[in-house]
Amino acid sequence: MKAKHIQHLYWRAGFGILPNQVEVLSKLKKEDVIRNLFESSKNVTALKVDTAEIDAVLNGETKRSSEDLKKLQKLSREKTIELNVAWVDRLVNSSELLREKMTLFWANVFVCEDNNVVYIQQFNNMLRQHALGNFKDFVNAVAKEAAMTKYLNTKQNKKQKPNENFARELMELFTLGEGHYTENDIKESAKAFTGYGHNLNGEFVFRRFAHDTTDKTFFGKTGSFKGEDIIDIILEQKQCAKFICEKIYRYFVNGVLDEAHINQMADVFYKDYHIESLMRFVFSQEWFYNEENIGTKIKSPIELLVGMNVLVPIKFNNPKQLLYIQKQLGQTLLDPPNVAGWKGGKNWIDSNTIVLRLKLPSILLNDAYISKMELGESDGMMATKKSAFKNTYGKKFKIEHNWEAFNKNFKDVDVKDLQDYILLSDLNLEARHYLKSLNKVSKHEYCIQLMSLPEYQMC
Amino acid sequence: MDRRKFLKQSSLASSLFFVPSFVKAFEQVASSELGYKRLVIIQLSGGNDGLNTVIPFRNDLYYKERPTLSIPKNEVIKLNDELGLHSSLTPLKRLYDNGYLSIINNVGYPNPVRSHFRSMDIWQTATDSNKFSQTGWLGRYLDAYGEQPYSAIEVDDNLSLALKGSNMNGIATQDPKTLFNLSRDPYFKNLGKHQNDAHLSEHNLGYLYKTMIDAQSSAKYIYETSKTVSSVKEYPNNKFGKQLKTTAQFINSGLQTKVFYTSLGGFDTHVNQQNTQKKLLKTYAEGIETFVEDLKANNTFKDTLILTFSEFGRRVKQNASVGTDHGTANNVFIIGDQLKKQGVYNNMASLSDLDDNGDLKFEIDFRTIYATVLNKWLEVDDHKILNKSFNQLDFI
Repeated sequence: MKAKHIQHLYWRAGFGILPNQVEVLSKLKKEDVIRNLFESSKNVTALKVDTAEIDAVLNGETKRSSEDLKKLQKLSREKTIELNVAWVDRLVNSSELLREKMTLFWANVFVCEDNNVVYIQQFNNMLRQHALGNFKDFVNAVAKEAAMTKYLNTKQNKKQKPNENFARELMELFTLGEGHYTENDIKESAKAFTGYGHNLNGEFVFRRFAHDTTDKTFFGKTGSFKGEDIIDIILEQKQCAKFICEKIYRYFVNGVLDEAHINQMADVFYKDYHIESLMRFVFSQEWFYNEENIGTKIKSPIELLVGMNVLVPIKFNNPKQLLYIQKQLGQTLLDPPNVAGWKGGKNWIDSNTIVLRLKLPSILLNDAYISKMELGESDGMMATKKSAFKNTYGKKFKIEHNWEAFNKNFKDVDVKDLQDYILLSDLNLEARHYLKSLNKVSKHEYCIQLMSLPEYQMC
Repeated sequence: MDRRKFLKQSSLASSLFFVPSFVKAFEQVASSELGYKRLVIIQLSGGNDGLNTVIPFRNDLYYKERPTLSIPKNEVIKLNDELGLHSSLTPLKRLYDNGYLSIINNVGYPNPVRSHFRSMDIWQTATDSNKFSQTGWLGRYLDAYGEQPYSAIEVDDNLSLALKGSNMNGIATQDPKTLFNLSRDPYFKNLGKHQNDAHLSEHNLGYLYKTMIDAQSSAKYIYETSKTVSSVKEYPNNKFGKQLKTTAQFINSGLQTKVFYTSLGGFDTHVNQQNTQKKLLKTYAEGIETFVEDLKANNTFKDTLILTFSEFGRRVKQNASVGTDHGTANNVFIIGDQLKKQGVYNNMASLSDLDDNGDLKFEIDFRTIYATVLNKWLEVDDHKILNKSFNQLDFI
């Protein structure tokens, strides 16, 4: 398989790839590279932080007073930060690459948020479990998660007075898309989801007495529908397959939709709603490797951060700073802006985020220094400048970076070829001229220069 | 001597002693400095419950449909015999008493959409509810009349669709100093130096370059201009208060920015609405009052118009969770010193004549408000920006 195509595949199915891995895979056929990718994502490794103290209270083992409750809320907030950091760490280091990338993708389809870390961790692992599985099982699991019944108020949805929040978002954001159902469909299906709830442990509970058993008319069908029936009927609509395929295409292929490609995908997906088959189909298509799809997507903040980490490992000694950066870039994991999630694409970029994105690699990895030495010059002041920057920024960010790993991984790469492994996008003409005029002081400094280009923001 | 007086006298003097062409040039400078009108938009995100904000306390239907959620008569801050404000809005009542507030009731659009995101997009793009647009109404204002990206600033971390145009986007910043520091590395300046503007924003990479170049030039100007002024007024200690403080600082420093955009979120009150809304409306009203006082103290209030909206109102009937579901029409607040029609602009919506969903039928299209603001306040061709003609209202 062509090196460039391997890099493309690994940027979309993961967060980039190192030179030695490209070397190994380039000896294989495309089918085998893709097969490997799926093979290595077969297992599901749950993401867990230690929540024993909170579990004990939820299990009823520890009695709780109102003061305990406050303490518990504080603890839950701290654990949520821990979970965020563990998730980022997982994205950097997991061998179940595709499963993790899909989990990140689904977290922005089935958007959910909760202040109880136990529920949100359980939700997160449910996403991981179903990430490559059957979509029908997936939607049903989402509907029954404690965090979701809280987030979209299904637990307040009772037969006396239904709450439409979940029913509406289920169709608008999770399965069909706006305009593909009526207001009446919402009202009727809300009744079918009455009685959904959870116990303190976060297990699903169906409250029989709060459930409306009367007939509901939904998409022209009438019956004493339950939530599962509604999901069945939604999935019978081809629009559902199409809607999800559009989301997949936008995330994994191109923000500009190609109707023909989407229709091919929807045909595959509609057959059995098997997510893995759909993804295999996408990665195997010739069009997936078309020029217009390579290096043309704007990295999400998490893709940017994790991708940098793959290149040069970074450790945040103060986890709150990792969250601070996520926030400034506009994407804090486990804290979506609203139930529609992050819009993605160009929406990541504005005046505020672009300047931070461009400056971030040098801030995190090089004491905020970007070499501007022209050909033939050398910066005798480099060390002084770096230490001055370090005084300004070093105090701000408590981080350790592992350039040794970079040096090892790029040992056999010539400095002039570095660009091929760091950038997927073609260089803008002016940027090429400017880079040519600069001195490649070292692999390390050149790497920072490449990472400080707008081109590095693309994958 | 104040500035206006000085200008008057010197132009009088100039008409006596100097050549006419010089007078003309001088007047141009004067007109761009004085009466530089600015628009501040405040977005209440999530769908504020308008019926519990401006309350029809004489209407039995209101109490009947909201047995446990209505605001009791004795808690309402009365505006007239029919309408009153939520008890958190005392600061807003003071603005009302001074003639600084105009409440436009029953604002919406045809074929309402009850999705937050769609409805917010409709308000931000000002298109028909069945049409999609990649540009916001203020973005199109920038395209047609904006001189620089900083002609419109969103005082937030991210830029809303409202401020995105085809050729020009507004600037998003809450912290001009950080923006400036991050953008000033000569490496980025060199990268941007010879870029050919024309085709940049057509593809993603070009969009990054263009945004980078815009950010560089604007960051310096915004930081260096605004740092000369700091506010002495004490704002409420919350994010919204900070945003308004920064906005006031921008305005009072004479930044050449026509439009400011801020937002306050959390209004999606499906469950236990009372406490949430109470808190949010308090945040809103306290912030706004301080903001107005700050502008007044700097003599900029008379040239500032503040428009507050939310993407939709909520259903008349409360739900089972002591909250309300997504609805349609809502009230819009206009705040300023030059209002033509102060107080309550029009009648409250009918609570008996509802649509099939049990929602209000709107009376005033929000785009007539935009058209009025564009035409009468920003003095531009509203048709060109809204791509349609709308009736003008007469609140300004």
